[in-house]
Amino acid sequence: MRGRAAGPTLVGLLVLAFLAALAFGELRLGPGEVLAALGGGGDEVARTVVRDFRLPRALVGLAVGAALGASGVVMQAFFRNSLASPGLLGVSSGGALGAVAVLALGPALGLGAALWALPLASILGAFAATGAVLLLARQGASTERLLLSGVALNALLGAGTSFLLTSTAGHFEVNAQILFWLMGGLESRGWEHVWLGLPTILLGCLLLLPLGRAMDLLSLGEQSAQSLGVDVGRLRGQLIVLSTVLTALATAVAGIVGFVGLVVPHVLRLLFGPSHRRLLPLSMLGGAAFLLACDLITRCFPIGLRLGVVTALVGGPFFLWLLRRPR
Amino acid sequence: MTALRADRLSVPGRLEELSLALGPGELVALVGPNGAGKSTLLQALAGLLPARGSVAWQGQEITRIPVLDRARRLAWVGQEAPFEFAFPVREVVAQGRYAWSDDPAGIAEALEELDITHLGDRPVTRLSGGERHRVGLARALATGAPLQLWDEPTAQLDVRHALEVFRLARRLASEGGTVLVSLHDLRAAYRFDRVLVLEGGRLAGNGIPHAVLTADLLLKVFGVRASFVESLVPELPTAAGPPVA
Repeated sequence: MRGRAAGPTLVGLLVLAFLAALAFGELRLGPGEVLAALGGGGDEVARTVVRDFRLPRALVGLAVGAALGASGVVMQAFFRNSLASPGLLGVSSGGALGAVAVLALGPALGLGAALWALPLASILGAFAATGAVLLLARQGASTERLLLSGVALNALLGAGTSFLLTSTAGHFEVNAQILFWLMGGLESRGWEHVWLGLPTILLGCLLLLPLGRAMDLLSLGEQSAQSLGVDVGRLRGQLIVLSTVLTALATAVAGIVGFVGLVVPHVLRLLFGPSHRRLLPLSMLGGAAFLLACDLITRCFPIGLRLGVVTALVGGPFFLWLLRRPR
Repeated sequence: MTALRADRLSVPGRLEELSLALGPGELVALVGPNGAGKSTLLQALAGLLPARGSVAWQGQEITRIPVLDRARRLAWVGQEAPFEFAFPVREVVAQGRYAWSDDPAGIAEALEELDITHLGDRPVTRLSGGERHRVGLARALATGAPLQLWDEPTAQLDVRHALEVFRLARRLASEGGTVLVSLHDLRAAYRFDRVLVLEGGRLAGNGIPHAVLTADLLLKVFGVRASFVESLVPELPTAAGPPVA
């Protein structure tokens, strides 16, 4: 599978997943009906289902998957560890705490109905977490120090989230909302979520693409990269900001969706090699396709499966199999 | 003009007010006990560590040399080669051309010089320790930089490849380069143009080997009794044919 087929294959898979996301669900549509509905024609019910519900949901899924895939690649290069993930720094936990705080405390503060409060708090939480990690690791910010700071912060933020969850245990509705969000999903994602996530995620992805070559050098050692002409301090700054923004936005619009940033880049690296100039765009495409496919599973088997559960159910065992596979 | 100059270079707890100057065409060995500061000195000279004092390359303060230009002037090879990702050997060596807009000139020669052409497509994660070090050296060679700082490049190499590395260092120096190599093999250091002896972050010796590596100094710095006797001396076969038995 090495070689030039990688890009076209993943683009094909993404298009397929995207069209399937528009076609499948409670109302099944054929390819012709989907295209007619997209073009503004066809049956009125189909048009409403496709344009008002499935299209925004698929676009959010695409953006979230691309963001998480790209974030994963960046963090793996940053930490020189192919098992790193966006959750590692505490970014996801920070986003989670921010959002849960709005859900738990929002009604008391009169924020309950504000559409923008939750994503905004999630983004603020993610950036606060990244800021805290960088501050903790400021002196001689070595990779080990950053990683350990992330571990400590993750535990702290997780404890905060758990506290908010148990403190609202009496309020069934709030509690359910929090759990719904902690398990991640694309249910009832509409155009406002598309506008919230897609443009900035696309911009973040575009800004990452030219950094692939320098990431190759960084991923084989900071000092050697510096000596070979990479401005390591600057590159690390760019990578940490972009990956935080991408993870925060993905978390803000879809809740916590695990394993995408971990599994997608890892699998693509095993299939197509470690060169980041290829791995970055491939992981964006692959992450988007993987996320849409997982969301499709939640819709085709309506037994209460959540997106975060499916990504973990698919990603976890596959990842374990890869780890055990002889090289 | 000096090729590499350090003035009162200090790294807290590791190097103390160390000054030295190396000229073009010089092949210099850096020796000293474990923890003497050899790696720290090489990193500080390469501008990879925050350090007090000043370092100049080719007469220019390194703080004034842009990062890309630095990479064209000086190559540093670390003691460890922590290759985490499975890049093919050829791609890793090609990283030496990053500062030259990835112009591939010299990559094939560097692979050949370090005897790793046959490993070109092999992932670096599947190499022995010695082979990894040769990949690191080939990458440094591919930069074409006139200043080369190598940290214990031969520690994991077999005798032939170690001798080839010394021959390569000698050739680079004879072409006008400046090569500073840290070593534990004092007999190898004896054949360099100059030896720097580091002890507790300070220079304990700096000069031509037979004047510096005396029995007294070796006893003082390394705590060993040295004697000068005839011994096994491995050599590379010359171009003319096999070595005389």
